[in-house]
Amino acid sequence: MGAKLVNITNGVDGVFIENSRFNTTIISFNCYLPIKKSDIASNALLPYILTSCSEEYENFTLLNRRFNMLYGADLEVSVDKTGDTQHIKFSVSVINDRFAFDGSSIVLDATNLILSLIFKPRLNGKSFYDEDINREKRKMVENILGEINEKRLYAKNRIIAEMYKGLPYGISKYGELDDVEKLDGSDLYSAWQRLLLNSYVRVQVIGDVLPKDFFDTVAQRFADIPRNPYTDYKAFSTLEPSDTVHYVTDKMNVSQGKLVLGFTSETNGVNCYKFNVMTDIFGGGPYSKLFENVREKMSLCYYCSASPAVTKGHLLVESGVEFDNMERAEKEILNQLIAVQNGDFDDTTFEASIKSICGSLKSCNDSLGSLDSWYATRIFTDELVSPDDAIEEISKITKQQVIDTARGIKLHTVYKLIGEGSARDE
Amino acid sequence: MNKKLFKCELLNEEYTVTTLRNGLKIYIMEKQNFDSVYAVFGTKYGSIDNCFSLNNGEYIEVPNGIAHFLEHKLFESEDGDAFAKYSKTGAYANAFTSFDKTCYLFSCSSLFEENLDILLNFVQSPYFTEQTVRKEQGIIGQEIRMYDDSPGWCVLFNALEAMYHNHPVKVDIAGTVESIAEIDDNLLYECYKTFYNPANMFICIAGKVDTDKVLDKISSAIKPCDKIQINRKKVDEPASVVTNYVEKQLEVALPLFCVGYKQQLKTEEPSLRDSIAVNLLLKLIFGESSHFYKRLTDMGLINDEFETEYFTGRGFAAILLEGESYEPKKVAEEIKKEIYSVLKNGIDAELFEAIKRDSFGDTIKRYNSVNNIAMMFIDAAVSNYNIFDEIEILREITLEEVLKHIEIFDENKAVLSVISPKEK
Repeated sequence: MGAKLVNITNGVDGVFIENSRFNTTIISFNCYLPIKKSDIASNALLPYILTSCSEEYENFTLLNRRFNMLYGADLEVSVDKTGDTQHIKFSVSVINDRFAFDGSSIVLDATNLILSLIFKPRLNGKSFYDEDINREKRKMVENILGEINEKRLYAKNRIIAEMYKGLPYGISKYGELDDVEKLDGSDLYSAWQRLLLNSYVRVQVIGDVLPKDFFDTVAQRFADIPRNPYTDYKAFSTLEPSDTVHYVTDKMNVSQGKLVLGFTSETNGVNCYKFNVMTDIFGGGPYSKLFENVREKMSLCYYCSASPAVTKGHLLVESGVEFDNMERAEKEILNQLIAVQNGDFDDTTFEASIKSICGSLKSCNDSLGSLDSWYATRIFTDELVSPDDAIEEISKITKQQVIDTARGIKLHTVYKLIGEGSARDE
Repeated sequence: MNKKLFKCELLNEEYTVTTLRNGLKIYIMEKQNFDSVYAVFGTKYGSIDNCFSLNNGEYIEVPNGIAHFLEHKLFESEDGDAFAKYSKTGAYANAFTSFDKTCYLFSCSSLFEENLDILLNFVQSPYFTEQTVRKEQGIIGQEIRMYDDSPGWCVLFNALEAMYHNHPVKVDIAGTVESIAEIDDNLLYECYKTFYNPANMFICIAGKVDTDKVLDKISSAIKPCDKIQINRKKVDEPASVVTNYVEKQLEVALPLFCVGYKQQLKTEEPSLRDSIAVNLLLKLIFGESSHFYKRLTDMGLINDEFETEYFTGRGFAAILLEGESYEPKKVAEEIKKEIYSVLKNGIDAELFEAIKRDSFGDTIKRYNSVNNIAMMFIDAAVSNYNIFDEIEILREITLEEVLKHIEIFDENKAVLSVISPKEK
């Protein structure tokens, strides 16, 4: 695709990915700030307030109706952690102008609307309105509390918090409950100022054409803002291996246990593809060691899979198992890691993994959302890396490199979620 | 072979539906500017088909969860596991079972023909033994346990149990640990023989393919089968609900609710036009741009988890409104109030225009993805309609027509299912 980063203004880059296979254009506004305990909750709540009302549309009903009139333009907000950076994303996807009933410029209208939400919020002096803050705070609190509903996700969040205790990455992406509850108008106003003044911003457009003068319009919006942008977003810090394995067990009224094993690796930003392939052979597709052995041969679980956190260099193995089978499952997962470290996987499995990863990367080009997310989460390199570039790199990986990568994997933490009546308690 | 072409000028898209002499229906949309292909081989056989007869023989009743069990087992053939074969091509493969269908799928960006061979081959090559059935009971048992801990799943099935006296839609798709223990290889073969006949099946493909080549390949790969007659036992389902309130405690922080309105169907299932009308009605009354949504959000009664669905399939239809709230009963009351208000005051035409545009845009967007197109084909194959009709219906449908469907909100057929936090 040959997309290039365009510098729009100080700490604001633009990317246009030309892709004419879609009926839609997506515009995303990605803001990156360092993860700090003091700021993370206000930074996370802010985008939800900004996208619920604005100077022009004073409540979310009016705003939603405007988006309806733009032929169901989808406004989305997300908050995530990319390494030690907090990633706040605003995006709008809208059908292309040729579908409009009345010949209107839907894409340009949607683009201007998203800019006005970010730059012209509904302010009450140097604060936001209490009704807007309280509404979004209440929903955020309920969202955080609701994490317990999905036990698999809950277990995953718990092990991350344990592995990164005291470190920025260990803080929940929305901040802690207490911090959210304490937020007031001035905190949110400061967060808005931080977003405009201090975040590194990447504006991405994926579609058949770049809306006319769009990057100039973005530059004008920032023109009067004394920018002092965050520059450390490319830093890559990984978790140190631990001399002893940490064991954490929570009890809850559940009928199935959750077992999560957290590992460190020797991965840095440069060799992440080897890490991806190694993790996939260990516990990715149905050809993987964990699927073949823990699920298919031993029938211990419905899922037992490994996933890499490329931006932090750790690896998690997640499984749902009977309480009584947890030790067997844990032992077998570790046995299978040793097998990968010893090169005990055949060429068919190795090739299957390379083909599967390359196949899904190729499919990225067929999905607006995947492309947008691909570029927005790869901020560590100076040059833009496309899915096709990644395929080229992955195709060069050797079996020996996978074995070497596996040998750098060390068990760090074992997390278990077990039933309250269960005898097993560590 | 009977081949029909469907075109949509607005989208600049076309697709073909081909019916083979054995009754197999094949939907294909070429998307030459895409890199990938998405293909599905499905059967009109799901969890609700648990009592049937073949060729007018005696009705047999099979254990709950057997369609899903069969889906798991079909990946194993005598000459090896389908996943192992896919792993040589790099395709992503999966399968799913719903209330009224089972689908096997793959997506790939290379070696499409090889992948299609694998799909056609394993779906037509059942191989079940006592030993492999036993192995699967452990795996599916864990899948069932996983859903037992999912409050979102439980709140839905409790609502269905509260609504339906006899219809098998109230039973979990995967069955129970006890019901799947009754499954054996002979029963699996019996179900396979009945429902995996080409006349009851469909293939849906979207992506970078050549229609004629694909049709040739499929025609030559489909094994000869006898013509069969499937009779699904008609369920005697009263119009009334079983109970209007059901509550269960689980490990949740705030209660989950599902308000359901059971609909008595005049036909086997609602038409495409009726489904579109009801979905528009739900957006108008309860969508994010509605007065209801603002009022209940401002009252602190709902959050972003609130959603509505017109839940339909063969022999069942209901409106579902689900979400999280500290006061589920109050939400259910507010829903009733809102219905009265709409009956009395109507809906403003401007909102209707906005919602119509919104739905029109959503429909256009679905054609961005080969996956979505294949999913639309599945629904079209099961319910027998042209997917492009949706755009025309959305253009011409009136507020008056949409509002007629408000009669589904019959207070006497409403249920409230609640999952509340465990008392400590």
